[in-house]
Amino acid sequence: MMRRVAALAALLCALAATPGCSTVGVKPWQRDLLAKPEMQLDADPLDAAIDEHVYFSKEASSGGRGFGGGGCGCN
Amino acid sequence: MQLKKPGSVPTALMAASCALLGAGTARADDSYESDDWQVDSALLYYKEDQGRVQAIEPVVSLKRDFGDDRSLGVKLTYDSLSGGSPNGALPSHSPQTFATPSGASLEAPSGEPQTYTTSSGRVVAQLEKVTLYTTEPGKLPLDPNFHDQRVAFSTSWQQRLGEQMRLSVGGDLSHEQDFMSAGLNAALARDFNNKNTTLSLGTNWEADAIRPIGGAPVGGTDYTQLQKGGNESKMVGGALFGITQVLSRRWLAQLNYSYDSSQGYQTDPYKILSVIDAGGNAVGYRFEKRPDSRTRQSVFLENKLALGRDVLDLSLRHMKDNWGIKSQTADLRYRLELGNAMYIEPHARYYKQNAARFYNLYLNAADPAPDFMSADPRLGAFDAMTYGVKFGMTLADKSEVSIRLEQYRQTAQDVPAAFGQLQGLDLNPGLKSFIFQVGWRFSF
Amino acid sequence: MNRPSCVKQPRVAATTFAKFAALCAALILCASARGDTTLDLAAYAGKVIYLDFWASWCAPCRQSFPWMDSVQRDYLSKGLVVVAVNVDQERALADRFLQQMSPHFRIVFDPKGAVAESYKVSGMPASFIIDRHGTVRFRHLGFRDDAKARLDAELNTLLAEK
Repeated sequence: MMRRVAALAALLCALAATPGCSTVGVKPWQRDLLAKPEMQLDADPLDAAIDEHVYFSKEASSGGRGFGGGGCGCN
Repeated sequence: MQLKKPGSVPTALMAASCALLGAGTARADDSYESDDWQVDSALLYYKEDQGRVQAIEPVVSLKRDFGDDRSLGVKLTYDSLSGGSPNGALPSHSPQTFATPSGASLEAPSGEPQTYTTSSGRVVAQLEKVTLYTTEPGKLPLDPNFHDQRVAFSTSWQQRLGEQMRLSVGGDLSHEQDFMSAGLNAALARDFNNKNTTLSLGTNWEADAIRPIGGAPVGGTDYTQLQKGGNESKMVGGALFGITQVLSRRWLAQLNYSYDSSQGYQTDPYKILSVIDAGGNAVGYRFEKRPDSRTRQSVFLENKLALGRDVLDLSLRHMKDNWGIKSQTADLRYRLELGNAMYIEPHARYYKQNAARFYNLYLNAADPAPDFMSADPRLGAFDAMTYGVKFGMTLADKSEVSIRLEQYRQTAQDVPAAFGQLQGLDLNPGLKSFIFQVGWRFSF
Repeated sequence: MNRPSCVKQPRVAATTFAKFAALCAALILCASARGDTTLDLAAYAGKVIYLDFWASWCAPCRQSFPWMDSVQRDYLSKGLVVVAVNVDQERALADRFLQQMSPHFRIVFDPKGAVAESYKVSGMPASFIIDRHGTVRFRHLGFRDDAKARLDAELNTLLAEK
């Protein structure tokens, strides 16, 4: 599993970091849709926390979600 | 203890810090004045079938924006649980008697219950606490003495560290009758590539004090001896590394790798296993016993796509731990904008896990007792499906109300065939439950 | 929402100044039948220009508008012109924002982002302070409360120049 993770991560990083590949992404003025509250990774934090609590109590897995990124990119 | 012990929720804490790390910068809504306070509240009702666990949980979360990307958040959760929880024993064609956790013996207490009168004049029996319970033939043994109240508090502070970096730190506390937990978390997020790429790193630590009612049983021993000890504890530490990437004007993706390690008492002190002989008869029971170390790794990928006015959210997760459990999760949501500031969001989730190495539905009387053992369905092999729908509406005063209904169904896999005296019994009925939640969100 | 536009990417080297950029921008953007979608800074020769890029979805822009209103009012007589370029792709959202803010400075619409591209806008909001000779002297990314004093000082410096 670790090798697959590393490969996927390397791919994303490579895409992100390649010069000329600031083509992966958008211009700062094109973030209108990304700025919408419903497009945030943490759009419904209470729902996510409630679900997490329920699934944690009934299953062997939990979490995985992260933070940061997306949004309007302002300031 | 289902739905009772938040226990180690390292990534739930990270979700909390995440909620506070992200939401502040992105809330570019219609409000004319910049509102400093944001309140998000919900009331949850959770119910399992077959007279099992039932919970009511109000949650309130407050966030104060201090400007310049600095904010403080606090969240308060109260959980009231009742109902019955499976104790891990198999059903039987004969009645079975068990002691509740506080019970010190399987013999019925002798003597008359003493009565006293409360200040309001109500007469109550002093020995109302049930110490023994009997499970009817054919029924899954449930401990009916499952009621508790949990209070949890969490707080988080987030701010900038320079132009491209954000920091979040937080703490949380939770308390219930037999479990207390305190934790700290911190996370850093660094932007690259005109904020199209964000790398994040987070860590969390948690200390749990476990004080089982009646004392922690000596793991793996004969249940009828009711050998109990004292209190226990465990410590959890975890780390998360994530990449968030804007893939197009409409597509945001996040890939996270997380690792966590839990050291200490992992056993459920209230759960037992049936010892079954060749004829299918229950000849005894043992307290469960789990290893005192558990490490987990998971990879999580989330995609958010803006399709017209709608939003599609698809996430996948793969988890692997050192107890031999592997799981896969696929979660799909589609937020459909209905116009008039209303939306409907159907939801489907698929989950699959295989059993822990030491999981056994029951123990064989003929075999020696294994090192570790558990019949907790939470550690068994099962598939689970969730179907749900959420409906939300923004009111004239800019507040948002929502209603959510979800149905969860767990189907046990790899269940050994019922033999001998066990024939005709449903050895692992799985789980069916639903969530009903109302929410209210507003700023001022 | 479809405005006729000449899609010609300008080649603006990093060191070229706003005069050239403004000229290019004027060449790129075609005039539209309704609304103000051109950016012709030549009309402001001899004035100090505060050129701002904003969007309805940009939260800090809500703070910047009242400030831009006040500096436009305070320094109008000294020769300051505030020009705010909107990059919303949906005009209706920009209009709603303007209705709420009621600004008293010039608004330009750049839905395709050609003007933003020509100024190499690298974050939102972005502002450029241009002196009386058309040279971009100060650039800013983002808008923060504690930046207001510095912006004021920069404006005053340029307004004092001949």
